[in-house]
Amino acid sequence: MFDKVLVANRGEIALRVIRACREMGVRTVAVYSEADAHAPHVREADEAILIGPAPSRESYLKGDAIIAAALRTGAQAIHPGYGFLSEREWFARAVRDAGLVFIGPPAEAIAAVGSKTAARSLAISAGTPVVPGTTSALRDADEAADVAAQFGYPVLLKAAAGGGGKGMRIVHRREELADALAAAKREAKSSFGDDAVYVEKYIVGPRHVEIQLLGDTHGTMLHLGERECSVQRRHQKMIEEAPSVAVTPELRARMGAAAVAAARAAGYVNAGTCEFLLDAGGDFYFLEMNTRIQVEHPVTELVTGVDLVQWQLRIAAGEALPFHQEDLDPSGWAMECRITSEDPANNFLPSTGRVQYLHVPSGPGIRWDGGIETGSEISLFYDPMLAKLIVWAPTRAAAIARMHRALLELTIEGVDTSRDFHLRVMEDAEFRSGDISIQWLERRLASLLSVQPPREAVLRAAIAAALLAERERSGPQRARRGAESSAVTSTTSPWLQAARLDAIQ
Amino acid sequence: MKYVVRVGDADIDVIIDGDVTIVDGVSRPASIAEVEGTPVRMVTIGDEVHRVVARRGTSRGRYSLWVDGFRHEVEALDERTRFIRELSGASSGPVGPAPLVAPMPGMIVRVAVEPGDVVVPGQGLVVMEAMKMENELRATSAGTVTAVLVQPGTAVEKGAVLLELE
Repeated sequence: MFDKVLVANRGEIALRVIRACREMGVRTVAVYSEADAHAPHVREADEAILIGPAPSRESYLKGDAIIAAALRTGAQAIHPGYGFLSEREWFARAVRDAGLVFIGPPAEAIAAVGSKTAARSLAISAGTPVVPGTTSALRDADEAADVAAQFGYPVLLKAAAGGGGKGMRIVHRREELADALAAAKREAKSSFGDDAVYVEKYIVGPRHVEIQLLGDTHGTMLHLGERECSVQRRHQKMIEEAPSVAVTPELRARMGAAAVAAARAAGYVNAGTCEFLLDAGGDFYFLEMNTRIQVEHPVTELVTGVDLVQWQLRIAAGEALPFHQEDLDPSGWAMECRITSEDPANNFLPSTGRVQYLHVPSGPGIRWDGGIETGSEISLFYDPMLAKLIVWAPTRAAAIARMHRALLELTIEGVDTSRDFHLRVMEDAEFRSGDISIQWLERRLASLLSVQPPREAVLRAAIAAALLAERERSGPQRARRGAESSAVTSTTSPWLQAARLDAIQ
Repeated sequence: MKYVVRVGDADIDVIIDGDVTIVDGVSRPASIAEVEGTPVRMVTIGDEVHRVVARRGTSRGRYSLWVDGFRHEVEALDERTRFIRELSGASSGPVGPAPLVAPMPGMIVRVAVEPGDVVVPGQGLVVMEAMKMENELRATSAGTVTAVLVQPGTAVEKGAVLLELE
């Protein structure tokens, strides 16, 4: 095992990796931007190196500065987390060329599945079913129209280098194609520096189901079952769960085998994920492979009992997986809500500011993977995800009930967050029945957010408001009176009161 | 003291008489206490205790309250203040559509309207990029565009006026 690992990330995932390292007796080096000088990941690591100004481009995306920091501190390996440099082939290669270990797949495997077009060709060669569409970047709208004509509308435009919904557009008619392609290219260019976009058939009504993989350097490749991530807004996952209501043990085995085949074809090692669309008939289509630890990895950890991040380190250090496929059947139900600094009452606009107060839920079955604390400054420099609230319970219904009570406990003040949105989802009958698809949220978002509170809650709010107003009206007068008479008020420190009593006696 | 509390679209009369609060003709003891150093308040109504998170709003009597997992935008005005506001008419603010302002810092990607355009509620006016996502800003009320103050490529701060409407 390594003695020291550099964590090339920030926020909750940096903390997650640092925690895994600490539990394994591995020392950690954090890197940080000027904006993150006081961030939790900096404080929790054993060492920390400043790598540049706030913008990611000048800090967390500066591979050379990060590798130099690793060499300088004597770290033997680099964990890239997710986002930033985690899926950049050149970075994995540069880390290796510097004599360090990249905690993730080999650069060649990232290249083999890194772009969606490459992953698709690979999946086809491995016999994994795919959605019909192009495998090369579109030249222009006319070419897109020709391809779309082969399988009909709606079609989906996607950035080849993309992820997280950036550079994606659904197009319903030929006339919309040119504008949508231009927008997708613009977003792709600004997000990924690469405006290659391709087109595919848009499967109506599918679920997003992905398979977690873990492969070692000794030839073992296992799957750890599925995660359902159908609750998405603008292709951004909001809520994830494991297992999926739509996946039987038989289907899990088939999807798992298809994912393992695709990963083997790519020469894949370490943790990775195959994303699939699963339609109502139980047919599944390979979408892409994510060559990193994923945001939603905790739900798999909770139902399998496998610490994925620790295994990433062990695999990178050359250890062999001790499990067999039959050891990895899911147990119970896990669910995750992404708590983001987006205001659901205002069209999910990003919210910025200082976290003035944070109360994190606790009690049975609750896990909080967070990157914020009281005092954290939420800026627009980085991703709006503040934390992940994850629960485990024996059944899906119990997991939903647990998530609901945890969300009620969660209090974040200073920035607006997605908390209330998650509450409405947990209360929704359709969600509770498991009748969801990747279009579910798009269709239901407006109705979820316009749910009116019950009359008793409105009356309580009215009473609370009147009491607050009454206090503000009478507050200053009371304070003045108190000062004049120097009476001992209830706000005086009990130590002071005790001292005064002593003096009187 | 009698308060008229606007919660969303509803006006609710709340009479506070010492430790007793009267709502809908029902009289119950009610009190509020701060959990020191936090935005959390303990609101006691009869024997029930509720956890309320309060954020002060833009003007006196206005708050955002989180009660029972719902966010409520409220305004509590005592009768006298409310009466004065109604007389002066100042409280309701300018009549007609407000100018379109940037809800966050970002970059203007596209402006979909020109001066003189008539817009309807929900119509997309400006596309802004922030956090690498394009966000469409829409009209909240009907009106006519009188001025366009930004163009694609303009970097704007939160609160910057993008369009004038009337």
